[in-house]
Amino acid sequence: MIPKPKEVRSLHERKAGIWPYLLVAPALLIVVAVVFIPVLNAILMSFQSYDLRRPSDIAFIGFNNYIAVFKDTLFWQSVLRTVIWVVFGVGFQFVFGFCLALLLNKNFKGRGLVRSVSLIPWVTPGVLIGLMWRWIYDGSYGVLNDLLMKMHIIEDPIPFLARQGTSFPAVIVTIIWQGIPFFAIMLLAGLQGVPHELYEAADIDGANVFSKFFHITVPCLRNTIYVTTLLRIIWVANSVDVIYNMTGGGPAYATQTLSVYVFNKANALNLGYSSTMSIMLTLILLMVAIPYLKTMFRNQEA
Amino acid sequence: MKKSKKLIVLAILSALCLLIVPGCKKGDDKSGTGGEGKTIEITHWYWADNSDYSAKMQEIAKTFNETNGKNIKVKAEEYPWDGGGYSETLFTAAMGGGGPDTAAWKLTSTPLFVANKLLAELDGFINNWADKDDIEENLWDVMKQAGGSDKIYVMPWNTQVLYVYYRPSMFKAAGVSVPKTYEEFLEACKKLTRDTDGDGKIDVYGFGMRGAKGGQEPWGSFIWARGGNFTDFTTPEAIQGMQDFIDLFKKGYTPPTAPTDGFNEIIANFKSGKTAMTIHHIGSSSGMVETFGDDVDAFVFPAGKGQWTSMGDTENVIFESCKNKEAAFEWVSYLATGKGQEEWCITTGNVPVSKRVQAMDFFQNNKFMKVSIEGAPYAGIFPILDTTTEWINTVWPNTVAAALTGQKTAAQAMEELQKGLYGDKK
Repeated sequence: MIPKPKEVRSLHERKAGIWPYLLVAPALLIVVAVVFIPVLNAILMSFQSYDLRRPSDIAFIGFNNYIAVFKDTLFWQSVLRTVIWVVFGVGFQFVFGFCLALLLNKNFKGRGLVRSVSLIPWVTPGVLIGLMWRWIYDGSYGVLNDLLMKMHIIEDPIPFLARQGTSFPAVIVTIIWQGIPFFAIMLLAGLQGVPHELYEAADIDGANVFSKFFHITVPCLRNTIYVTTLLRIIWVANSVDVIYNMTGGGPAYATQTLSVYVFNKANALNLGYSSTMSIMLTLILLMVAIPYLKTMFRNQEA
Repeated sequence: MKKSKKLIVLAILSALCLLIVPGCKKGDDKSGTGGEGKTIEITHWYWADNSDYSAKMQEIAKTFNETNGKNIKVKAEEYPWDGGGYSETLFTAAMGGGGPDTAAWKLTSTPLFVANKLLAELDGFINNWADKDDIEENLWDVMKQAGGSDKIYVMPWNTQVLYVYYRPSMFKAAGVSVPKTYEEFLEACKKLTRDTDGDGKIDVYGFGMRGAKGGQEPWGSFIWARGGNFTDFTTPEAIQGMQDFIDLFKKGYTPPTAPTDGFNEIIANFKSGKTAMTIHHIGSSSGMVETFGDDVDAFVFPAGKGQWTSMGDTENVIFESCKNKEAAFEWVSYLATGKGQEEWCITTGNVPVSKRVQAMDFFQNNKFMKVSIEGAPYAGIFPILDTTTEWINTVWPNTVAAALTGQKTAAQAMEELQKGLYGDKK
């Protein structure tokens, strides 16, 4: 093998060195403009009394916003609600999504149609989902009350979204309904990549359905499960549209998750305080995401 | 080679800059300069409660464009009221440099917009305006108070006085007469709550309570009726008013959905016969008459120790960014005292601010207008502070929901409402 002359290689390297950056530059500039600058701005705002209702009072106030957030009982209640929202929301989305994926992976008549129809909740805008479910749950004219009364399960209509005990479970059911197709489709794609030979070999070895599921299906889907669950945790924790359109965070803050609290505070134009809370939310999500990713990579290496 | 590479880099960067620069341009020069023969375009934002009002505003703008004789062309753009979200949209647009030249308005937004120097001062225009005296002097004072100084930023347009709608047939069936006092009103709420078909379930609730955003307006009448006021929510009188409000819900004289019932729900409940009374203004009267014919009437929220009802206000403003404020003033004054005032108030049934229009037969012969005018002496607004919008949108609905559902006592809720509006100062 004849080694390349040093000069030629360096010229080639230089060429390669400029073009990739140049080609990436437009995308990078846009990302910097729409992601990095706003994030930096939010961090800066979190150290300011940035309240547009009092523009003349805007000034750097150090950690005062952070101290106020730590003392804010509504903040801690919202954090707790966010945890419940994510655990139950994503948890049930995953379970039902997995069931649906297994079902859609079977051969049956009309499978294509069922696959398309099952995507509907995922492609419906969150605002529309919020409005639709608000009417489903309505205490006076809602279809859910009507059905339950016709089936003699309840005698009087339940104002699901007006009661503290029922409003939060009601919005969780909605987000579960919305997210099932995402898991179903992603896991279905993963399922189609599982080699049939593995199941055939297991059949020969006399493995039952559960053994095949836990020893072949789940390990083969591990990466898909990790990635989809992490994405959903982040999206659901950040989700505002469904809750905002169903209850606005009420009644009596019963459905106010942290992202809805951030949104409400930002709507009240207290941008410094809402930036502080959004940074706290980011840190909480990082606390979940980093160990999660570490475990995922460790498993991959293993 | 090197040179051509540099040229390519430069060309790409320049193209990117060109992409970015127009995005940074602050607004369009849509108002024009008003030179001779040139059309002056004014963009006006408004909201409309139904499609009739929407069509009427477009018609008013069209008539104005055809008759103003000064080449002013108003482009009326509609945005949803969205329980107050309109003002937030307007603020975001104005701060971003994309707002309109003029806009329909609510006084509560004034401190925020004035603090951010977004509104044009109107004193110069108003002092030289021939129709200034056609508007009540006290209205000008209210406009000044909203801006927090002696300057006027807001042009009156129309008002709506809240009153109680009721169903005479239901009153007759329950043997109730129109309440003259606050105690009689509370008693009527009880008597009108009935099981009409004998199945053991309540079919009609006495009072259609609004517990969601916007409910603070009818709620205010309860506070004042017990002798309270909005300066201090923590007085025993104000707390008693809150207790009455809670009791109506707890005793089942309101629909169980009340904590989340907003405008649409209270109107739907009243129109479907689910409630016998509800509180709203004349803006709903045409829909009510359409549904019930003569079987709907109204009375002023009755007096207890005190009497108060909410004055819904609608005004117009001119933005500081407007390039041709003279033309914009021509338009907002047309809406305040001109043909625009007449047309809009006849269609919406709102109370005109122009004395000339108030004197017209249409307004003198309308029973809902009469009740509005009867309630006008007791009509007022909530304190306009920079905290008011958040208080209305978040603090009030959540605190009252907590009180209605038994999480907070009346006293605790009032303490929180006080803090939400006035901070820690008393």
